Amino acid sequence: MGARLASALLPVLCGLLGVLLSNLPITLFGSLVPPPLLGFIPIYFWCLVRPDLMTPAAAFAIGILQDVMAGGSPGIWTLSFVLSYAVIQRQRDAFAGLAGLAAVLGFATATLIVCATAYFTTAALYWHLPPVGPIVGELAITVLFYIPGAFVIGALHRRLVGPLRSDF
Amino acid sequence: MANNTWKIARRSNAQLPLVIVLALAVVLVLLGKSQSGLFDHARMRITDLMAPTLESVRAPVRGFNRWTGSIDELFTVYQQNLALKDENARLKQWRNVAVVMEGRVRHYQDMLHAVPDPDINTVLARVIGRASRPFLQTMILDAGTAHAVKPGEAVVDSRGMIGRIYLAGDHTSWVILLSDLNSRIPVTIAAADGKAAALQAIMTGDNTAMPMLDTLSDSVILRPGDQVVSSGDGGLLPPGLPIGTVVGGPGAYRVTLLADPASSEDVEVLAFRKPAEALPPASISELPAVAAGLPPASAAIAAPAAPPAPVAAPARPAATPLPQMPRPAGNISASVQTSPIVAPPPGNGNE
Repeated sequence: MGARLASALLPVLCGLLGVLLSNLPITLFGSLVPPPLLGFIPIYFWCLVRPDLMTPAAAFAIGILQDVMAGGSPGIWTLSFVLSYAVIQRQRDAFAGLAGLAAVLGFATATLIVCATAYFTTAALYWHLPPVGPIVGELAITVLFYIPGAFVIGALHRRLVGPLRSDF
Repeated sequence: MANNTWKIARRSNAQLPLVIVLALAVVLVLLGKSQSGLFDHARMRITDLMAPTLESVRAPVRGFNRWTGSIDELFTVYQQNLALKDENARLKQWRNVAVVMEGRVRHYQDMLHAVPDPDINTVLARVIGRASRPFLQTMILDAGTAHAVKPGEAVVDSRGMIGRIYLAGDHTSWVILLSDLNSRIPVTIAAADGKAAALQAIMTGDNTAMPMLDTLSDSVILRPGDQVVSSGDGGLLPPGLPIGTVVGGPGAYRVTLLADPASSEDVEVLAFRKPAEALPPASISELPAVAAGLPPASAAIAAPAAPPAPVAAPARPAATPLPQMPRPAGNISASVQTSPIVAPPPGNGNE
């Protein structure tokens, strides 16, 4: 029972932890490197592997925390995460079949949806196009962090969630 | 990593919840547009909780940033040293000029009995965190409402204005930088040569390093190097805070900021409150009617000063013909209403 609960909560907890880590108000390299969207990596991963553990409500909760921590107008990241989740879920077979570099490109596509949604929602709210550079930098750094992040999450999945896959 | 070695779980039946959650997210965006402070309380609680951690990692992070930031400077130290010596010599000359001018201004103020600038209470704070996100550029200070810091107050360092307090928690506060997308500051632009008249504008951040200058008419010509300071319009910011210098050309004027938020460590929060203008002392000779050359309505003036009527006496009836004071100008009524001596009778305010 405890193991099942832990495996059920693991994706959401990983997402929330990712949001907390990426939104620590600490900048290295003099603000040149934007913070990655670490909270989105678990959403993408478990939406493909175990969507029953990463539900739309979980993506919504992770997005809410991202909005709270990131500042700015409320709801932008929540909408971005949930919209991207919807796209991933509809194209799950295509995304999950990717391997190697193609898998990274698949994640980059999903992150592009997140960043584009956030960018255009912000532009609509402020009626002004923000500079593209920072959001492109965020996209790039998030994709860069996906490679080690997916390994860590994959290891966690195998160790804690993997044995329960046979239930499905 | 997601690859085809993963066993994909069955397709979930979460289409309906997904639609509902998507709709909720859209509602949240719309709600956030109308109530931008929706998450402010949660943000400040989390930041207050994180404050001890941020304090403890502040020193190593600063050391790391200083180390990485100085790598490229190693190759230009000699040239920088020469340039700094030259600049220092010129600044010493300007300092002498400034001292002479300060004495002259003080002398003129004494001659004119000028009203001194209001005192500004300041709160010293340290920067314990910075965040540069795609749509928000902030820094976090270790001073909050417990130190009398309030939202809206200006934050400056030794070089100039950095931004304004955006959120204030108990022991921390968020600063919205001048370059942020949400920043709007009324500014005054003074010509660098001092010949042209000062202009008013709004400095608008757009998440670039150099904010824009808005609300300038097309005919206005600025020159690179013109000084930008806070105008004090609105009474929230003190006037004259140094902000930056004008760059760019017609239609695309921008401001190079004096302060560098990325390197600021200790800042001041200015608790500026524009004092309300004092009312002139009330006396008969200064009444607007008298000033306009009309006879004073002595009965109306004397009535409030009379001792209170006995209890048996009826209250002032609405039909009682009170002596009316002639009003030669429409704007005098406002002055009269503020006077404690000649409050207008009820029911007669629409004359």
